[in-house]
Amino acid sequence: MLPLSLLKTAQGHPMLVELKNGHLVNCDTWIFVKLSVRQRFSSVRPPDFEKIMQDGDRFWRMPECYIRGNTIKYLRVPDEVIDKVQEETKSRGDRKPPGVGGRGRGRGGSRDEGAAGRQAKGIGRGMEDAGAKGRGKGGPGAKSGGKGGGRGRG
Amino acid sequence: MASGLGLESLVDQTISVITNDGRNIVGVLRGFDQATNLILDESHERVYSTKEGVQQLVLGLYIIRGDNISVVGELDEDLDSNLDMSKLRAHPLKPVVH
Amino acid sequence: MSGRKETVLDLAKFVDKGVQVKLTGGRQVVGTLKGYDQLLNLVLDEAVEHLRDADDPLKTTDQKRSLGLIVCRGTAVMLVAPTDGTDEISNPFVQPDGA
Repeated sequence: MLPLSLLKTAQGHPMLVELKNGHLVNCDTWIFVKLSVRQRFSSVRPPDFEKIMQDGDRFWRMPECYIRGNTIKYLRVPDEVIDKVQEETKSRGDRKPPGVGGRGRGRGGSRDEGAAGRQAKGIGRGMEDAGAKGRGKGGPGAKSGGKGGGRGRG
Repeated sequence: MASGLGLESLVDQTISVITNDGRNIVGVLRGFDQATNLILDESHERVYSTKEGVQQLVLGLYIIRGDNISVVGELDEDLDSNLDMSKLRAHPLKPVVH
Repeated sequence: MSGRKETVLDLAKFVDKGVQVKLTGGRQVVGTLKGYDQLLNLVLDEAVEHLRDADDPLKTTDQKRSLGLIVCRGTAVMLVAPTDGTDEISNPFVQPDGA
């Protein structure tokens, strides 16, 4: 599974974004972040928003904000989103994962543009396969078991 | 090839990630891409301290941006589950200096 | 190619409105957005920089510095948000995590 696929699926869900400078941005509508090479902006969208930015010990509520992808440290996504991605990849069959083509294009400047593009596609398929196998074996039971264990330790 | 980050073999395994800001995050690798952006499921952060045992904060599902990642390591789950975190003492890591 | 156009960034609606901009390095500027390009270079009028505490650069102070008409270099722009509707609020999290 590609991080971007998860992110696309996470549109419409609340998520927490930490920026490299330490600011936390919390959103409860959809956020769309272009990670990685393209470094486009993310958009956090209306209609019924709740964007909260934490800046040290101060908090701001804002109608929306755009965050440059490369300033993001991590995104915290609701747990259930990952299951939705899996459904999607299954039903879509061998369609290219979203964002992969774009990434190839993002690399356009370099001389091995063609290679980068092809490679990106290859990765996408390979990963989908790997993911599907893993899912088949592990299944939802294994997952919840693992989770319980993790929390217990914590 | 650049695609062979070597992470394919770690998918659906528990891994340990050290980020540029010195955090240690442990979770199940669900996916990655060419930029080493990672999907970590059921993840938790381990907070090290010299004064008390290792604290584990439950984080859940995370996407970590690749350029914020210092180290990705395999984790032996059996070995790991035998660790007594409450007795471990360690200095917290310092952030990466660029 | 799904292409360029899919960018989610729509700054058009902020033109002639107040925007808050955070830049890499930590500076914060508020101004009226007069123009922009696809690289996110921004033209801000009546821009005001919100100065930070010299001892603690993470803290913004009430001190301001007037900059006038400026161009913000796109590569340095980290965050853009409209000032309309942006309010400081009290801590909305019972227990702020990840701090």
